[in-house]
Amino acid sequence: MWRSSASFILDKHLNNKPISITHSIDSPPPPSASMADENPNPNPISAYYETRAAHHGIVTSEWLEQAQAAVQRYPDRENSVSPVSGSPFSVIEEFNSWRQQPDLAEAVAAIRALAAVIRASEATTMMELEIELKKASDTLKAWDTTSISLTAGCDLFMRYVTRTSALEFEDFNSAKSRVLGRAEKFGEISCKARRVIAILSQDFIFDGCTILVHGFSRVVFEILKTSAQNKKLFRVLCTEGRPDKTGVLLAKELAKLDIPVKLLIDSAVAYSMDEVDMVFVGADGVVESGGIINMMGTYQIALVAHSMNKPVYVAAESYKFARLYPLDQKDLEPALRPNDFNVPVPPKVEVERSARDYTPPQYLTLLFTDLGVLTPSVVSDELIQLYL
Amino acid sequence: MPDVQSMVAEFVNKLRKRKIEGSQATAKCTVELLRSVISHQRVPHANQAAALIDAVKAVGQQLVAANPVELAVGNVVRRVLHIIREEDLSLTTAAMAGLDLLDASDDDDIDNCKGIGYPAMSAAVVAAAARSTLRPPSLQTLLEGTPESATVPYTSSSGADSESKTADKSSLTRKLKHDVIEGVNQLIHEISGCHEQIAEQAIEHIHQNEVILTLGSSRTVLEFLCAAKEKKRSFRVFVAEGAPRYQGHLLAKELVARGLQTTVITDSAVFAMISRVNMVIIGAHAVMANGGVIGPVGVNMAALAAKKHAVPFVVLAGSHKLCPLYPHNPEVLLNELRSPSELLDFGEFSDCLDFGAGSGSLQVVNPTFDYVPPNLVSLFITDTGGHNPSYMYRLIADYYSADDLVM
Repeated sequence: MWRSSASFILDKHLNNKPISITHSIDSPPPPSASMADENPNPNPISAYYETRAAHHGIVTSEWLEQAQAAVQRYPDRENSVSPVSGSPFSVIEEFNSWRQQPDLAEAVAAIRALAAVIRASEATTMMELEIELKKASDTLKAWDTTSISLTAGCDLFMRYVTRTSALEFEDFNSAKSRVLGRAEKFGEISCKARRVIAILSQDFIFDGCTILVHGFSRVVFEILKTSAQNKKLFRVLCTEGRPDKTGVLLAKELAKLDIPVKLLIDSAVAYSMDEVDMVFVGADGVVESGGIINMMGTYQIALVAHSMNKPVYVAAESYKFARLYPLDQKDLEPALRPNDFNVPVPPKVEVERSARDYTPPQYLTLLFTDLGVLTPSVVSDELIQLYL
Repeated sequence: MPDVQSMVAEFVNKLRKRKIEGSQATAKCTVELLRSVISHQRVPHANQAAALIDAVKAVGQQLVAANPVELAVGNVVRRVLHIIREEDLSLTTAAMAGLDLLDASDDDDIDNCKGIGYPAMSAAVVAAAARSTLRPPSLQTLLEGTPESATVPYTSSSGADSESKTADKSSLTRKLKHDVIEGVNQLIHEISGCHEQIAEQAIEHIHQNEVILTLGSSRTVLEFLCAAKEKKRSFRVFVAEGAPRYQGHLLAKELVARGLQTTVITDSAVFAMISRVNMVIIGAHAVMANGGVIGPVGVNMAALAAKKHAVPFVVLAGSHKLCPLYPHNPEVLLNELRSPSELLDFGEFSDCLDFGAGSGSLQVVNPTFDYVPPNLVSLFITDTGGHNPSYMYRLIADYYSADDLVM
C-alpha cells in the first residue's frame, strides 16, 4: 500500500539522482521519466515550507547546500517556463522575489506576480489578457503544488478578473488599470485582514487565561500582540515546533513584548493541556469541509484539546479558503521537508518528512477570519458563493 | 419628538427595573417603540436611510445598555436596522431602473447625469455593488473593495432639474418611511405569531406513546405540547420543577388542565429519569450565533444527561431570540444573578450570611441562565422550520446586516 503513495514515488525518483539526502528505500521499478519533465520544480522539497523556514531564520546548512545545488543544477529550467509570449519575463521569478519578504502573505505574493504579468502583457482585449493570466496562474500553481494559499490566491484573482469583466462597461485600458489597481491594493487588504482578525478575537481572550500556540503564524502573532497592547493579562505556551523550531522564534518575539511565555517540546502538549484555556493556531489553508491544513502537529494538538474540552480557535484570512476536500491525511499533495535529527540517520531507516497535516472540522471550535467569526460549517457556504 | 423621548425614557426604566418578563413581550414592546421613533423621525431629503439608521441606533444603544442580558432587545433593534437597509436598497434599485428609462428617453438628461461625474456604468453594476454592501463581507467582495455608489442615486436625482425627477424624489421620501413601517409591522406580526408557527410543527416530532422531558416553564413548550395533544397524539410529560422559582409546577398545572399526563420531578432527578425519556424539549431564552443556547438554569445538566443517553435534545426558539453575537464567557457575561432570598430565608441565616461587614462567610449565588454548547443540541425548531445548530449562521445572515453587529 505504501508503495503507491505519491511521496514514495517522488522519493524513488530522487534516489535515481545524485543528491545527498540521507535515506534509501527498496527499489520498485523506477517511475517514468515523464515525471521529471512535467514537474518544473526539480527539488522535491516543498518550496513553500522552505520559504517559511527561511522567514523564521532557522535554516540548517545542509538545507542551504541542497538549495544551492538545486538552483545551480537547473538554471535554465526557470527561464524556460516563462509563460508570456516571447518576452524574458518569468512569473515564477517575480513570485519568488515577492515571496522572500517575510511579512508578505503567500497569496499577496501570488497576486502581485499576476499583476506584474498584466503590466508586462501586450494584450489588447480582455479575453487575451484573461488567457495570459490563466497561463501564468497555471504555471505558478504547477511550480509549487504544495502551497495552498498560492493556489487559492491565484484562483481568487482569476475569479475576480473574469467576473468583473463580464459586466459590460468600460474600455479595455480602464479595465486593465482597474484590475491592476485592485491587485496592488490586495497587499493592503491582507494587512487589514490581519488587523480585523486581531480585533475580532480580542473578546475571546480574557484576563488570566493560558493560550497554547503551535507554529509561527503571523496572524496569531498579531492577535497576541494586540492583546498585549490592550493590557490583557495572559500567558502563552508555545510548542517547540520541530523541525522548524518555530516555537523558539515565537517565544523570542513574545518575550520582547513582555508576554509571559513557556516553551514546551511537542510531546509535552497533553501533559500541559490541563492548564490551557484555549488553543490558537493559524492555517496554511482552510478546506471545504471547514477543516484546516497546518504545520505538522496541529491535528495532534486538536485531538488532545478536544478530548479535554478545550476550544481550538483558528485564525486565517479569507483568501486561504481552498476548494479541497481531503478525506484523510494522505489525501493532500505531499509537502516534504528535510528532518534534521542532529544525528546521522542509519541508511535503512525511513523518515517521515511530511510538513503538514489536516485537522478535520469536528475538532475546531471557531474560525476567526476577516469575514467575521465563523463556525467550520460556514466555510463551504462561502466557497459556494464564490465559485458557483 | 419630546413625546418619543419620554416614551423611550419610560421603556428604558422598565427594562432596567426588569419589569417586563419574557423575551416575546420585551421584543414586542421594543419593536413598537422603534416604530414610533421611526414614524416621528423627521428625515432630510438626501440620505434618509442614514438618518433613520442613526436614530434607531441611538435609541437601540440606550435600550441594550438598560438590560444587556435580555438579548431579544438587541436582536430586534438589529432586525429593524436590517429592514431599513433592505427597503432602502430595493428603493434605490427601483429608482436606478426608473432613472435609466428616463435617461434613455431624454438626451439632455443623459448629459446632465454624466456631467455630475458619474461614469457610464450600467444600473446593473451599481445595483450589484450596492447589494454587496448589504450582504456580509464575503470572498466575492474581498477584491472589490467598498463601492461609493450607494449614495450616487441621491446626488444624481438631486442634481437633475427636470420636473419628473423632482416628483420622483419626493415620492421616494415618503416611500422609504412607509416601506420601513410596513416591514416593522410585519416583524411585530411575526413575533406575535411565533408560538403558533412553532406549534404547527409539533405533530412531526412527537409520536404516539412517547415520554417527553421538559424543564421550567416556557409558553412555547406549552403550546407545542398542546398542539400535539390536539392532533390526538397521546404521550406523557415529565416536568423538572426548575428550582428555585419552581415554575415547573405552574407548567405541570397547565398541562394537566389541558388533559396531558404529567409527572413532576426535581432537577436532581433528571439523570435518574433520563433513560426512560424519548425526547427532551426546552424553550430557549436566546440562541447564539454558534448554535449555543441560553436557557433557564438547569438545562445544561439536562443536555448533558440527554447526550449521555443519546436522547434527542430539541430547543424551541422564536426568530426574535436568534442573536448574531458569539458567546465568549456566556456563563458570566450573559447571566444575571437574582436575589438570594429565593434560595435561603434571610431570617434564619442572618448570622452566617456574608453581608460584606465581615461577620459571616456564607455566600449565595442564584444565576438565572445556563449556557448549552452547540454540540449538545440535536435540533432547533424555529418559526421557519427545524434546523441544525450549525445552520444558525444562515438564518443570521438572512435576518441581520453585518454593519449592525456592533451598535
